[in-house]
Amino acid sequence: MNISRVIYQKLARAFPHEFKMAFGDDMLRAGEESMRQLSKRSGIAGVLSLLWDAALRLLMEYWAEIRQDTRYALRGLAKSPGFALVGIVSMGLGIGLVTNIYSSAGALLLRTIPGAANAGRLVTLDKPVSYPYIERFREHQDLFAGVAAVKTGVQFNVALGERSTTKPERVFGQIVSPDYFAVLGVTPERGRVFSAEMDKPGGSPVVVISDRFWRVQLNSDPNAVGQPLRVNGQQATIIGITPRRFEGALTLNPAELFVPTTVPASLAPELADDVLHQPFAQQFQTLIGLQPGVMQEQAEAALDGIVRQLDKGDVNARPQEDHGKRVTLLSAGTRVPLPHQARAVATAFFGALMVIVLAIACLNLATMLLARCAHRRKEFAIRLGVGASRFRLIRQMVTEGVLLSVAGGGAGLVLAFTLLKLNLEVRKPAGAPLSPDLTMDWNAILFAFLLSLICGVGFSLAPALQATRTHIAPALKEGAALQLSGYGRFGLRNLAIAGQIAGSLMLLLITGFLVLGILNGSHVRTSFDQRTMGFLSVDPVRDGYSPEKSREFLEKLDERLRNSNRISGFTLAAQPPFLMTDGEGGVPLVADGTRVQRSMTELAIGPAYFATLGTKLLGGREFEQRDLLEANGAGAAPLVLNRKAAQALFPDGNAIGRRVHDSRQNFQVVGVTPDTRDSAGAIEPLAYLSLTQRDFLQPPPGGITIIARSSSAADALNAVRDEIGSVDPNLMSFNAQTLSEYLEVSRYAMRSALRTYGGIGLFGLILSAVGLSGVTAYAVAQRTKEIGVRMVLGARKTQVLRLVLREGLALFAAGSVVGFLGAAALARILSSIANAFGDALQMNTNDPRLLLGAPLLLAGLGLVACYLPARKAMKLDPVQTLRQE
Amino acid sequence: MTKQDVVAYIPLKTNWFHILLSLAAGEQHGYGIMQDVLEQTTGKLRLWPATLYGAIKRLIEAGLIERTAGAGGRRRPPPLLPANPSRPPGARCRVRPSE
Repeated sequence: MNISRVIYQKLARAFPHEFKMAFGDDMLRAGEESMRQLSKRSGIAGVLSLLWDAALRLLMEYWAEIRQDTRYALRGLAKSPGFALVGIVSMGLGIGLVTNIYSSAGALLLRTIPGAANAGRLVTLDKPVSYPYIERFREHQDLFAGVAAVKTGVQFNVALGERSTTKPERVFGQIVSPDYFAVLGVTPERGRVFSAEMDKPGGSPVVVISDRFWRVQLNSDPNAVGQPLRVNGQQATIIGITPRRFEGALTLNPAELFVPTTVPASLAPELADDVLHQPFAQQFQTLIGLQPGVMQEQAEAALDGIVRQLDKGDVNARPQEDHGKRVTLLSAGTRVPLPHQARAVATAFFGALMVIVLAIACLNLATMLLARCAHRRKEFAIRLGVGASRFRLIRQMVTEGVLLSVAGGGAGLVLAFTLLKLNLEVRKPAGAPLSPDLTMDWNAILFAFLLSLICGVGFSLAPALQATRTHIAPALKEGAALQLSGYGRFGLRNLAIAGQIAGSLMLLLITGFLVLGILNGSHVRTSFDQRTMGFLSVDPVRDGYSPEKSREFLEKLDERLRNSNRISGFTLAAQPPFLMTDGEGGVPLVADGTRVQRSMTELAIGPAYFATLGTKLLGGREFEQRDLLEANGAGAAPLVLNRKAAQALFPDGNAIGRRVHDSRQNFQVVGVTPDTRDSAGAIEPLAYLSLTQRDFLQPPPGGITIIARSSSAADALNAVRDEIGSVDPNLMSFNAQTLSEYLEVSRYAMRSALRTYGGIGLFGLILSAVGLSGVTAYAVAQRTKEIGVRMVLGARKTQVLRLVLREGLALFAAGSVVGFLGAAALARILSSIANAFGDALQMNTNDPRLLLGAPLLLAGLGLVACYLPARKAMKLDPVQTLRQE
Repeated sequence: MTKQDVVAYIPLKTNWFHILLSLAAGEQHGYGIMQDVLEQTTGKLRLWPATLYGAIKRLIEAGLIERTAGAGGRRRPPPLLPANPSRPPGARCRVRPSE
């Protein structure tokens, strides 16, 4: 019974202050009396009922008070609409931006591949390998539940229906081995997916489409499965549709079409030259599902041993005394497979970005609430004086802060949705890959809501605690004019404002580094006007020509183009210029004599290629007509290397005249070109081979590309088309585009990133402007009486102005120092991420445009924010002001 | 309190009804109300102290009952009196010392 009495007393004392003041004693006495009687009559059950009633009533009384506080806070905010608007806009911008970053970065770095049940057990090699290697990996079923081959970023020309006259669209997809979906654990939404048992070479070609392709291109046709589709001019049948939001593995860009490796090369030119049986054609990414219980390190060691074994059969492989690791495994369960360290760095970077943006918004809120609390000093003093509890006042102020924050959170969610929608709807260049589906899910909504609550409580508590720590008599006398302890040099308000400035400067600098880095890195520079070049492709053999007829056609076309006066220059190639290689499809080249081996992309080009592209060689010569007319590779074929490739193979000196070989033939280096960026801004080592008659007999996958220049790209393309028509009017050309269009498509991803970071920087600036001006205006309003007194005592207007500006600029200076230090630290993290982008992100953290420009911009903003309210203060009539006070 | 104000609270909550019924006889302290209600309902309704005083607080806020000052200068909340609709609003009743 004593325990129950103690519990009852504790419960009674826990009731809200006002309730206790009115009914506390009575409730205690009544409770104790009831307990005495209950213990005699009803025993423990009665006592428990009494205690339960008290506990329940306690919660209800607090809930009633919270409702009252909410109504009071809403009335208070309604009376100060300007304050409320600034607070909601501030928090809305901050939470919206942070939710957007969380949603996008989380989707790329953390979220597993949607629809893939086995995502948690997936790994991939960091480099492409050949198909036979993948087949050898499959044999180790004790370690691997499945091993699939994937070729990503493949472009297909797709036309709906059977008729060949339907205009094809360019669609991005993947070429995958039949066990791809089984390894991922993907169940189709409709129909079926590929399987090793059902899909074998020689069968009729089948494809699987994505849910997005089905909804957008086929209007969600319920009979889509079984429908024909023309892929690269060849008939295929749709057998299944992937689940919603599944967009393929190992790729940032969504795949809309999945083609199995069992289709003929006429449908997928990437499978030509019997590439599936070439042991050293490193064309495929691997997707490995680990068996349960097998660790990544174990799998990596096993694969390393297997690859070493397989490499022994390759005369061009690295020397056996090389004990370096040959295999690195990456987790493949997320959209972008990254090495563990890079993922950690990227996560830290995005986390830091979110913290800075949120800190700016929350400090805005805190300084505004602090200013508001100062204004209500007298009110608090009166209420404390007549018996209100300090806890109640604090709770009311925190309620106000939480309301502002939650309202801001709601606005922020709307902003985040809008930003996402805008990003998806931005007009992309024709042929650009789609944006990944980064739809916000309930995680992001919950995140935004929790964030609002935490920020609201956290950043309104400190101002509330400070404001209620007051001496009643002075507060009653001086009211708002009373100098708060928080307004001292290192007070809460000054620290908050300086913190805001520091955060804004950091954000400006970091986003500025990224934006300038992208602009510097991704731009392909040419010595000619890019708008005067166009190119298109022809593939006579794919269009049904015999090899001899194909060679005859191409020779005639070559002659006509050389004699045409409508084009100023042309060349032939096996691929578009400035092709983004990304290191994929590299072939091992070995330098004779030194035995140095490097894997690099081989590009086949025609005569006058570099002259047409306006590139001056560093030494030697480029290919000539006689190289094109070579029937076969008898002797050493000519080879041109770019500087990076030449330095890699011949670090000791001049490459010209030296010999090199790959698995198929010998070469002699005849020229060296400067390094040029590809369309994504990267600089890769490249080896250029000459197109020969053999390529006219059997054009490479993708056909022969004719690159021409004229007064304009359109004129160049028309001239080439006319010449094709005059040789053979029945031959179709394809992939016609201008160089400008092509580069715009290729740079699209980087430009999206540019928009994103530029947007974050801009938002941060707006956030700072909103916060700084709101706080400064409020602060000046606070000092109205002081300013009035000073002016009455003889202060000039300029002195008043200087007074207001001095404080603001001092805070700005302090904040800038911290901001620079923070930006320097963050830039270090950024540099290590930038290395992953190679040359495409040319970051210069010492760029004077930023180091000077950013602080000046912020200072200008701060000056305007301080000046306008200060100017208003200068215009005050001191007598009128004092009378009002 | 106008007729419209009173009508807003009809139908009365059970607790409120019994408390008002108890106060119809005259002013009461909280414990007395508890005993009255127990007797009125032949033990079927027991108002625990927390529920009772919570309801009293709501009734005071609604203006249906009012506090009166206690006698003897004792620092304790005064007993309660039902707000008599026949009295002019705001009129205070006689104080009765608490038991």
